[in-house]
Amino acid sequence: MDKEFITRGLRRSSTGRFLLWILPWAALLVFGLYCAGLCLVKGLNQTNMDNRFAFGLWIFLDLTVIALGAGAFLTGFLLYILKIDELHAVINSAVVIGVVCYSGAVAALMVDVGQPLRSWFTFWYPNVHSMLTEVTFCISCYLTVLLIEYLPIVLRNRKLHDVPSFLVFEHKLHNLVYVLAGVGTFLSFFHQGSLGGLYGVLRGRPFAFREGLAVWPSTFFLFILSAAAVGPSFILLTTKLVETLSRKRLVRPAVYRLLARVSGLLLSVYVLAKTVDTLVWINRTSPGSGFEAWQYYSWKPFGTWILFAEIVVFGLLPALVMLTPRLRMHTGWLVTAAAMACCGVALNRFVMTVQTLALPTLSFDSFVSYYPSWQEIGTFLAVVAYGVLVYSFSFRYFSLFPEERELRLEAAAREEETALAGRY
Amino acid sequence: MLPWIYGFNWGAGHIIFLGAFYAVLTAVAATIVSAVVRSRRALLADQAEAIRWHSDFESLPACDRVCRHVLTGEFLERQCPHAFDCRECETHAKLIERHPLARVPEQEEDAFGMAFPLDRFYHRGHTWARLEKDGTVLVGLDELGARLLGTPDALRLPQPGERVHANGAAFHARRRDADVRVVCPVDGEVVETGSAERGWYLRVKPDRSGPMAFRHLLRGTEIKPWIQREMERLQLALTAEGAAPALADGGVPVADIAAAYPAADWDAVCGEMFLEG
Repeated sequence: MDKEFITRGLRRSSTGRFLLWILPWAALLVFGLYCAGLCLVKGLNQTNMDNRFAFGLWIFLDLTVIALGAGAFLTGFLLYILKIDELHAVINSAVVIGVVCYSGAVAALMVDVGQPLRSWFTFWYPNVHSMLTEVTFCISCYLTVLLIEYLPIVLRNRKLHDVPSFLVFEHKLHNLVYVLAGVGTFLSFFHQGSLGGLYGVLRGRPFAFREGLAVWPSTFFLFILSAAAVGPSFILLTTKLVETLSRKRLVRPAVYRLLARVSGLLLSVYVLAKTVDTLVWINRTSPGSGFEAWQYYSWKPFGTWILFAEIVVFGLLPALVMLTPRLRMHTGWLVTAAAMACCGVALNRFVMTVQTLALPTLSFDSFVSYYPSWQEIGTFLAVVAYGVLVYSFSFRYFSLFPEERELRLEAAAREEETALAGRY
Repeated sequence: MLPWIYGFNWGAGHIIFLGAFYAVLTAVAATIVSAVVRSRRALLADQAEAIRWHSDFESLPACDRVCRHVLTGEFLERQCPHAFDCRECETHAKLIERHPLARVPEQEEDAFGMAFPLDRFYHRGHTWARLEKDGTVLVGLDELGARLLGTPDALRLPQPGERVHANGAAFHARRRDADVRVVCPVDGEVVETGSAERGWYLRVKPDRSGPMAFRHLLRGTEIKPWIQREMERLQLALTAEGAAPALADGGVPVADIAAAYPAADWDAVCGEMFLEG
């Protein structure tokens, strides 16, 4: 029915099967929108957050998806600025992932902050003393950049490409995409850093407070590094997932290995930096604030296991796997390592958000536990469903993996060779 | 983020932040404006067809973008850097100067049971151009192209007086689910339209005359190796679209290939063979 909109030579499921696939996600989105609507109309009393636990599931989600979406800027930088042409095979998918992650994060933030009709206040009346101002500016600018980068992908749709003005605009915009890649890299560095800096400057929360360089606490740099490290891992993971679900070969194994190598390299630098930072914090920063580091880990369930898991299990181990050429040759190892790296960044963002706020800091304070309300979970799920839907539609109607057709032809050639070998 | 906002001061930090922010906004806005202005210029200069061809060409698999000198064995491997427009290719100019094409005694080349008359020039998108005595150029489908489309369900030809461009669309043909853009081999103005029965589709008054007008097109001894490769591509395209391997040794393609493979995705096969992305 919709074949005319699907890129020539690409095989996609029937319209009926596609509708069946999107139906549950659409239902989840509707439910999530209802939850978000409740929060917006009735206020944050619909959530389990309060003045003490002001950051919850949504901020954890925001930080995590923004880190995972960093693959868009890193891939753009490597492809258009450093000219690593192999990444052409995944750049479109990376842009879609970036758009999904950033727009999802902005949507969740809008619900969290509330009063969406006054969202422009943040630009017109910014708090110039807040790191959140830098975050807001950079994220909204970068989301705009990502949407502009997404535009050529949309305009390459088969039907839209038939319109001469769309065709020409897409071509001319694509020729200038290196400017957007450069701007995107600049913005990403700053907002990833500012998100980390947000926690590092919390003097009243010694668990998160860090010293650093000039006005930037060490978490500023750690957030940049960790996001850059897991971005390629997330692209690897999503590409493999789409390959599995669609039962198609989308990119060559060499591209997976390249993504893993980039991710492994950056992850190892991150693990090193994080280890040094943790040692400085344990021996200097924390005692300077009047707390011994072990005190933070006496509040269960946040034992030292969480630190070990973050640095060793989900940091060092995947980095080693991705940097070992022999292991990189095996898809199973690659996917496991990429998944572990992504879990690592999620754990880090969880620790920075939830553990930081749960720990008591004053003598009359107590350990507070937080569990999100169903409205919070619903809104969280809406972002996930929205991401799946946008990616599914993009995969169906746009060419996200430019080598897909070529890989099919190569598979056909091998099939033919096998048939001929059998005949003679 | 404005200077009159509460808390703002003209300190270095604020100026750097504002400067960076406005520089980013300016860069993004300038990119969009530049793309719009360039697009407008390109549309006014009638470059849409050239851009479409370049876009199609870049989306072709690497094996379909090989240089014509790979077909003749002069290179083992080389991608065409000029989107099959050899008129601007220095390598091609040097090679044909050093090794001019050998004369073929026959009047036509027979490949896989298909006739390719040698009195004309062939585009790799399966069209030909023949210079007539009155200086006009006839444009038609080659034998393989004609067998791929069979009898088209619909044909969309340009009107006399319309301009056509080399590597742009000569005409559109519909067969089964395939809507095919057939590539034009020459630049010029359409003076008359033909049909499959007349053996040609367009009579064009070319913009250029002389050898440069046809330099980008295949001829003579280049035809046979090209068709050999095209048959391999066809076989591959059919296999990829779920049809059985097409040819046994010594076999010839049927007159209406589309009708012989009712289950194949003919849109994909035609896209592949007519070099449409």
